[in-house]
Amino acid sequence: MAHGPSTMPAHGLPAAGRAPSLRRWDGLGYVLPAFLLLAFFFVLPVVALLLRSVLEPTPGLENFAKLLTTPTYAQVFLNTFTVAGVVTLASLLAGFPVAWLLAVLPGRWAAFLFGVILLSMWTNLLARTYAWMVLLQRTGVINRALMDVGLIDAPLPLIRNLAGVTIGMTYIMLPFVILPLHATLRAIDPAVLQAASLCGANRWQAFRRVLLPLSLPGVAAGSLMVFVMSLGYFVTPALLGGASTMMLAELIAQLVQSLLDWGMGGAAAFVLLVVTLALYALQVRFLGSGRMTAGGAG
Amino acid sequence: MTRPFLDIKGIRKTFGPVVAVEDVTLEVAKGEFLTFLGPSGSGKSTTLYAIAGFQPPTSGEVLLDGRSLLAVPSHKRNIGMVFQRYTLFPHLSVAENVAFPLRVRRRKDAEIDAKVARMLALVRLDGMGGRMPGQLSGGQQQRVALARALAYDPPVLLMDEPLSALDKKLREKIQLEIRRIHKETGVTILYVTHDQEEALRLSDRIAVFNRGRIEQTGTGRDLYENPATGFVAGFIGSSNFLPAEMERGEGDAAAVRLPDGTRLTGVRMHQRLGAGESCALMVRPERLRLETASTGGVPVRIDDVTYLGDSLHFLVQAPWRQQIGVRMPIASGIDAGLTSGTEARLVWPASAGHLFAGAS
Repeated sequence: MAHGPSTMPAHGLPAAGRAPSLRRWDGLGYVLPAFLLLAFFFVLPVVALLLRSVLEPTPGLENFAKLLTTPTYAQVFLNTFTVAGVVTLASLLAGFPVAWLLAVLPGRWAAFLFGVILLSMWTNLLARTYAWMVLLQRTGVINRALMDVGLIDAPLPLIRNLAGVTIGMTYIMLPFVILPLHATLRAIDPAVLQAASLCGANRWQAFRRVLLPLSLPGVAAGSLMVFVMSLGYFVTPALLGGASTMMLAELIAQLVQSLLDWGMGGAAAFVLLVVTLALYALQVRFLGSGRMTAGGAG
Repeated sequence: MTRPFLDIKGIRKTFGPVVAVEDVTLEVAKGEFLTFLGPSGSGKSTTLYAIAGFQPPTSGEVLLDGRSLLAVPSHKRNIGMVFQRYTLFPHLSVAENVAFPLRVRRRKDAEIDAKVARMLALVRLDGMGGRMPGQLSGGQQQRVALARALAYDPPVLLMDEPLSALDKKLREKIQLEIRRIHKETGVTILYVTHDQEEALRLSDRIAVFNRGRIEQTGTGRDLYENPATGFVAGFIGSSNFLPAEMERGEGDAAAVRLPDGTRLTGVRMHQRLGAGESCALMVRPERLRLETASTGGVPVRIDDVTYLGDSLHFLVQAPWRQQIGVRMPIASGIDAGLTSGTEARLVWPASAGHLFAGAS
């Protein structure tokens, strides 16, 4: 927040309650460049695309009608939400134990584990996705190892389907549930869990009745983040998925690049944007109330 | 002798090279209120945590009613505990916090409701069941924690400095509540504190911890009037340690010489001391008297006088340049000549002196 060379707010005056909000606008001049940047490079293109969705090929809402009634497109929506949902669930299931481990490990080990997680985040997305292609394909490392051991006779279909997309995206999304979950879990006083244990709760009861409810703000933050990011994901589904698992982002790319149907592409993009914003609004509300509950713990 | 209710036998706990508890042996009777008193790091909390099951001892045994506790995981020990920090479940209401131990024991709803109501009444928080822990004061939170710890009728209640986060006034109020609850429930309580006043106020017996060992166990009066070691004498109540030299001892009475040559006989000796050994003579400030008319005792100079309402507190300088605290009740009639900067004689009855090893 920018502080302009304004007068200091007067102390103890009845108007003092309003002074901060007035001061907030004082520095408006300084944010003009950033504001212009956002308007010119972000808002304007989006508005232009949205305009095309209602203007091309003829003015009206027919693009949206087509999008929502054609079975092929409906399938794409279904795929998108299925993949996002499955990936969110898988990330949570895999991420919770890791976040817990990070919270309870002694400092040096936690730092090391953090390093491993961050390193994977910093590695190029395309490189990581190609690595998964190598691992998952019919003659890939995983299938060959399983066949050599004798667990399977024929290669498992791990790529060009939902399984491949889920595995690849879960791996990429993991840090985004681990980090908020870790923050929530670390704020829980271990003595609370000791108290639960002495009260007679076994490990499962302590998890179910104490740890899980207390970690809900982190679970909500992490899963909404992963779900929203998954909705618009392009690279990983395109490389690890097949034609039958096409997601919204791929559809938009195809509509615009191959079919040059900017109207339909714009409509699909608009629907994705609305869903994302709705979920984001949910996240803001949910986190707001979540923070209040966490504050009650202190 | 009958079997002790809680039998702590030779508990030893090491953390790597650090010995937290050296050798703690203690027998606790049913319904007793026993306090572990000692400075921080003396092993009192570690002993308590060993009984709770969070830090299994390196060696030793804990028997409850004749059965070993150490093999039982903490959630099956059926022991109640109130922690130093606030450990109420922040997402559950006060009533649900108290109900928690009963819910995990799968008791019937009607039974739980009745028990929660009784427990909240016991800690005088009736009608607060709907509140969330975040809406309670620290004292109220600890009272809910007490209700939660007693809800399942544990045979033993552990309390680890539960009042240390509260201010003095509130602490004294809740101490009285704890005493009342102890009387009403008859539960056996092990209480950890570093506050000697709290220990004296609450306990039937006190075990004084120092460097991983129990120095002495006894009633508050025992510890105050017959301290077994210099540490106990120094930790409980205020005390002066005068450097002295042992002349001769007979039984537990000794003759000693103070640095200025004053000879004292009939001093109570608490440890075996040989002639010529340097030792410490402990006298409580309230057992000392300052006199102007007398010619006996130790000549001192008064450095400072503080008015404390019921008594006067003097700081006097001994000839060997040690500052000694003296506390005289105003009702006992104090010589008006005893003002700062004047000379006086410091006297005390021989039986008020306690002799311990180690010069100070």
